[in-house]
Amino acid sequence: MGSGFRIGVDVAAALAVGLGIGYLLDVWLGTKPWLLVVFFFLGAGAGILNVYRAVMGMGYQVGFRKSGGNHDKAPPERRDDG
Amino acid sequence: MAAAEHHAAGPLEQFSIEPLIPLNIGRYDVSFSNSAAFMVLAAVLIALLMTSSVKRGALVPGRLQSIAELLYEFVAGMVRDNAGPEARKFVPFVFTLFMFILLGNLLGMIPYTFTFTSHIIVTFALALTVFVMVTILGIVLHGFHFFSLFVPHGVPKVLLPLLVPIEILSYLTRPISLSIRLFANMMAGHTMMAVFSGFAVSMGVALGWLVGIAPLLLVIALTGFEILVAAIQAYVFAILTCLYLRDAIELH
Repeated sequence: MGSGFRIGVDVAAALAVGLGIGYLLDVWLGTKPWLLVVFFFLGAGAGILNVYRAVMGMGYQVGFRKSGGNHDKAPPERRDDG
Repeated sequence: MAAAEHHAAGPLEQFSIEPLIPLNIGRYDVSFSNSAAFMVLAAVLIALLMTSSVKRGALVPGRLQSIAELLYEFVAGMVRDNAGPEARKFVPFVFTLFMFILLGNLLGMIPYTFTFTSHIIVTFALALTVFVMVTILGIVLHGFHFFSLFVPHGVPKVLLPLLVPIEILSYLTRPISLSIRLFANMMAGHTMMAVFSGFAVSMGVALGWLVGIAPLLLVIALTGFEILVAAIQAYVFAILTCLYLRDAIELH
């Protein structure tokens, strides 16, 4: 229940942020419906990205590259000496 | 909290903000409200717990000192495991955040108290503090290179104009989802408890106490569950703060 709710919130929040930014940019630039539409889809994309990251166990990191073969930058032994 | 029995004004009554000391600065209402009073109470309790328990600094800790040491070591371990060893400087920050939210959630479990974490403006202010601090930290540590966070790894260049805005939006989602998660859990839990305790009274009056005892038993179970949620949500907030800190510090 906890993880389902967490992921649902992530989708809704991404959509809300996208819509909010689109609306504000529309008001600012006077391009009434168009940026709202564009940012709605970008927000949906961001929401799906959030879900993907959460489900793949990659945490919440933006652009996180754990599975991208970039392991050598953060050697595992650094986790132990703290 | 379980106040529905007394002023039968509905389950949302418990969330109303009441000014205790009315105060206006210019056009702004800066009254000292019940919400602010419980924040002060939480801060004072944390300060008392931490100072009184470490004042003696006994080698064999007493009860209070054990609580303080356990909490501190829990948070310090969480920061070390999730944010990396370089994040040790931020243990006090995460600890303060964790304790404040934990105390806010747990104080709200006492009947007739006010749960300040059930207000989105409070949780959003906390989440925004984390967000702004982490962003500034990343920029200070890595300079312009911090923005490489938004460029996903191993993606064809053609797709970057589409993916970079999505990554930025995903980044901006953080304070929203962080604050909504805490606020929604607390608000939903407390509303649910008030609704069920209202059921207990009205069903007990209308259908006899044998029927009314069923929702009462449910409220007892919910109380235990809500105490669990109070601790878990404070933990989730703190652990996500740690993950964001690691993002800013290590930048992969």
